[in-house]
Amino acid sequence: MSRKKALLQYSVTRLALIPIMLWLISSMVFVLLRIAPGDPVDAILGNRANAIARETLRAKLGLDQPLLNQYLNFINGLSHGDLGEALVNQEPVSEIISKALPASIELGVCSLIIAIALGLLVGFSGLAKAEGKIDLLARIYGISTYAMPPFWAAILVQLLFSVALGWLPVGGRFPPGLIQPEGSGFLLLDSICTGNLPALQGTIRHLILPASTLGVLLSGIFSRSLRINLGRMLEADHIEAARSRGINESRVVLYHALPNALLPVLTIAGITIASLIGGALLIEVTFSWPGIALRLQEAINQRDYPVVQGIVVVVASLVVLLSVVVDLLVASIDPRIRY
Amino acid sequence: MIIRPLIKDLILPKSNFRKGPRCAFWISILLIALTQTSCRPTRKSSRIIVASAGKITSLDPAQASTYHSLQIISALGDTLYKLGPNGLIKPNLAKALPQVNDEGLTITIPLREDVIFHDKTRFDAKAMAFSIRRFREIGTLNYILDGRIAAIETPEKFVLRLRLTRPSSSINGLLTSINLTPISPKAYKNYKDRFLNKKFIGTGPYKLVSFNSQQQILKPFDLYWGSPARNSGINFINLSNSISLFSAMKSGEVDVLLSNSIDEDQRHYLHKMSKQNMFKEGEGSAMEIGYITFLSNTPPLNQQILRKALTYSIDRNLISKRVSYGLRAPLRSLIPPRLKTIDSNPWPLYNPSHARFLFQKAGYCGTKKITVPLTFRSNVPADKLLALTWQAQVKRDLSDCLILSLNGVESTTIYRQLGEGAFQAVMLDWRGAYPDPEAYLSPFLSCKKINKNICEKGESVSSGSFWADSFIEKNLRESDQLIGTKRLERLYKVERIAAEGAAYLPIWLVKPRAWSQLDLQRPEFDASGQLRLDRLRKIK
Repeated sequence: MSRKKALLQYSVTRLALIPIMLWLISSMVFVLLRIAPGDPVDAILGNRANAIARETLRAKLGLDQPLLNQYLNFINGLSHGDLGEALVNQEPVSEIISKALPASIELGVCSLIIAIALGLLVGFSGLAKAEGKIDLLARIYGISTYAMPPFWAAILVQLLFSVALGWLPVGGRFPPGLIQPEGSGFLLLDSICTGNLPALQGTIRHLILPASTLGVLLSGIFSRSLRINLGRMLEADHIEAARSRGINESRVVLYHALPNALLPVLTIAGITIASLIGGALLIEVTFSWPGIALRLQEAINQRDYPVVQGIVVVVASLVVLLSVVVDLLVASIDPRIRY
Repeated sequence: MIIRPLIKDLILPKSNFRKGPRCAFWISILLIALTQTSCRPTRKSSRIIVASAGKITSLDPAQASTYHSLQIISALGDTLYKLGPNGLIKPNLAKALPQVNDEGLTITIPLREDVIFHDKTRFDAKAMAFSIRRFREIGTLNYILDGRIAAIETPEKFVLRLRLTRPSSSINGLLTSINLTPISPKAYKNYKDRFLNKKFIGTGPYKLVSFNSQQQILKPFDLYWGSPARNSGINFINLSNSISLFSAMKSGEVDVLLSNSIDEDQRHYLHKMSKQNMFKEGEGSAMEIGYITFLSNTPPLNQQILRKALTYSIDRNLISKRVSYGLRAPLRSLIPPRLKTIDSNPWPLYNPSHARFLFQKAGYCGTKKITVPLTFRSNVPADKLLALTWQAQVKRDLSDCLILSLNGVESTTIYRQLGEGAFQAVMLDWRGAYPDPEAYLSPFLSCKKINKNICEKGESVSSGSFWADSFIEKNLRESDQLIGTKRLERLYKVERIAAEGAAYLPIWLVKPRAWSQLDLQRPEFDASGQLRLDRLRKIK
């Protein structure tokens, strides 16, 4: 079978598996939520509502139905693209997600840009003098940023830049007092599109701390990955062969070594993007960033089943799609990969 | 390697290495200079930014139940009556105190005639009836009405009549509840039987300009019937955690900070800073109590003597000092002192010798120690601190008789399992749905089916104690038909019996606090413990 055909077959198989995977994930979430202790009715009414009030609310929310009926309703809704309504305030789950997702994507994309730029810079500079001081510092940087607990780093950054220096806001996504520009929900884009300069300025100021904290924390893995792969690549036979043919050293690095070294980085970037869509929970919570992870955490605390289920299904779909896209991209770039 | 010089040239040119230290020096100088000048954002807006913890998901008075959502609704809406500083109700949207007829079965309320809704429609008895009916039908907290209202009538344009199912003097307190605030029937026409979460059309001093989960913008209502707001608007922001709130206050990003969900250390710090004139602190009436429930229908705590011994074993003063730096006042009654006309504390003072005597009398101490599992809400930091402090204090004073074993459980799980009798001793807090002593007794003590001091059905089961006393039930019912001092005396009597039964152990009182920056007037609270947003004012 030709490589193109094999790739097509692989893509079709992966895409065909998506609905099954999503059904499994959503069913698992449904079951796990019901097994978990706690009850949305108690989360809404608190600890002291009487039994009649609880039963009334339970019936109103449809929680008095047999579990199988609830499951079938959920799957039926899901198959029609209906994620249901939040138990807490009857807001459509799709609306909740459509509001929270842009915030997470905006934060994720900005931090990823910072992470890749910083990671590549640090990883590349480590090679300037292998095993030298810079390389050692780059290695320490890579390991420590990877190992650093995100909430701790976030709190330190808040204390330094917001409380002590007062340069940037402590949390939130938009300055209090300004009205958010309407549009896609991506505030950077919306501010630019509406030409709202104070909104743009405010959005950037609120984005700097969470995005750079997350970016720095994620850059470690990119720097280590690039350093290791580029180091290994520069010792490969085809690089020696290129050098022996008298090819210019910068050309050897940029055209022969770097593309190969970047392949694993691309895979890591794909996985990182996928995980960031799910939201960087601790960063969102610490910086009060109204993204999908913060919303998920609130929904879990409130035992708001439809919201948790909806968020998990949407995030899982995006993660699965992204991983397929990354796989296909890597396969199309790297001719060595066979299916 | 050949590659090294190339990469050096690409990334860090050689000359940069020489310039490096110089660059680092100048960067450090720049950073230090910036640190010293500290370019904190200066806000020119005359609007006031008030911060609170947690997200507001609904501003519908039928749906809202959290402290911070009710806080905003109390600025956007009005109540029929308000609680006065003397603990008695005073007319607000009502023109006079309620008139009781038909042996307590009919309540007539004359209404103000100069009130206008934010959508410029007129407030009248029909609007009030619409709001109460809607709350009764779909209200999340509609159980507070407890089936007391049989019918709502509007005999005249500005007269509201409530027909009750039974005489109920506690209904007066209920009429101060912000959940019963009037809303415009025109604006809520399509929301009679469902919630309108992101809008609020009421009669309060502010109208809602914008709502999202992180920020609510309020603007003074020009046609407000009462005293106008003293500021040009409020931006109410919600941050997700205590550190962010504290940091925002300290960095000057917010003007006013509400104390709910602020960690004890940070409350203490802000309190201390206020004493040093770094902030201004306002405190409201304490309406929230912290208490422990003992499971009274299963061994070993089914023995009253053991429960009684436990009530003597807790040093509230020490706990208050260690956990809250004294900011949570020790409490020896279920009814907050603010709602009492006399100074009565029916629960005993800390007395380890008497506690030992009672434990010995029950057959414990020495070789036989009693182990009491104490459950606390793991997501409430103050609860954990309280549990740890009491455990250490018991170890110090009563280690030969009592062992407290601690068990942290997430609050939602506790609420779910409380009525199933899952916890021998569990720490919780309570804030009455309306400011009335009855709202602090019935939810703990009321019982519909009693079997030898064990409650089989009723509030006492939901509260996790299962303890009941037929005398209490009788007194609670009778008190609802009395008024004034006689009623209060009856309720105090109920509380004394409850203290003797020792199924509950009040620990502390939580006062709402708010801190403001120095360029603002000191925050003020109303008698129900809500911050008066309309009284916040910048000092020129």
